[in-house]
Amino acid sequence: MHRQNNKIVVFHCRNLRLFQDGERKEFSMAWPGLSLVSIPCSGKIEAHFLLKTLASGAQGVLVLACAEQACQYLEGSMRSRKRVEYARHWLEKLGIAPDRIEFVRLWPVSQQALEAHLEEFVLKLESLGALGTPEKV
Amino acid sequence: MIVAELKEIDEIRKMVDRYSSILVVGCDSCVAECAVGGARETQLLASALKLSYLKDRDEKVITEACLDRQCVDDFIDGIAEQVPEHDVILSLGCGAGVQALARVYTDKPIIPALNTLFIGETVMRGVWTENCLGCGQCKLGYFGAVCPVARCSKKLMNGPCGGSRGGRCEIDPETPCGWDLIIKRLEAIGELDRLSEYVPPVNWSTSHSGGPRRVIREDQKP
Repeated sequence: MHRQNNKIVVFHCRNLRLFQDGERKEFSMAWPGLSLVSIPCSGKIEAHFLLKTLASGAQGVLVLACAEQACQYLEGSMRSRKRVEYARHWLEKLGIAPDRIEFVRLWPVSQQALEAHLEEFVLKLESLGALGTPEKV
Repeated sequence: MIVAELKEIDEIRKMVDRYSSILVVGCDSCVAECAVGGARETQLLASALKLSYLKDRDEKVITEACLDRQCVDDFIDGIAEQVPEHDVILSLGCGAGVQALARVYTDKPIIPALNTLFIGETVMRGVWTENCLGCGQCKLGYFGAVCPVARCSKKLMNGPCGGSRGGRCEIDPETPCGWDLIIKRLEAIGELDRLSEYVPPVNWSTSHSGGPRRVIREDQKP
């Protein structure tokens, strides 16, 4: 398992109910450098949050949304996907790998799926190198 | 409202590369409504510039601020304390906002981040269309509040050209025929008779063609 200290910020929809009492802290401790940000709906995400997060020192950002039909607010999951795409487009324009921002749909209570995505994401970020060094776009 | 679009990041960079500290200033009025220069977009552009310079290992100070209106002095004063600490102001205001900043902050370079496009309206989220040319002689009352100057590609004042098909303009089928809209609208309000009155050609001297315009009202002066 990859547990390197890679600063990653995960914005996740609260309705995914990923963590029971106490699990959140335990999960964060197992992933050094990981910041979990719970939001009322993934549709709350906007492109400037994502770029600002990277500009503030994060190496990658994951946005976890509910399945499109499962969004409690109907359009939130669809909107967040569009906004992530827009932010990725910005990274491309800036000559930065768009893969530093990823959008993932999860089923509720799927902590294992999150771990699998994180493993993959960490590997990807390691292959890209630190933000601010030449990278393959 | 004024509708604008963001310039390409390369063009913006080319203009601000020479400075070491940049104050990115948004305007939370018209350009916020067209999702290009409000508080959100100011944060987006400031972050994008930070990332862009980070990638090039060029250390710059980039600060963001957003004014309620960039074209009114009382609001412009809102960044007075931040301005001296920066080499340049990168404005996300329309052309009027950029020039207002330049008038107030006389010793500071002001760079526009937007291309100001037109006076228009939000038709739906993500779609803005032009519907006023600011010609200086509004005749919307004759035309059921649909402007033939702004919305007819040929600016015809006394009836359609005959080239439109299915309510679309022959110049650009993506554009609704202005005269089709005028006639349908007058029909809907029962005022088709308005069209029997001859409307003389537009006197363009009251538009920008007559030179820079100004309005002076003594009752409003201090």
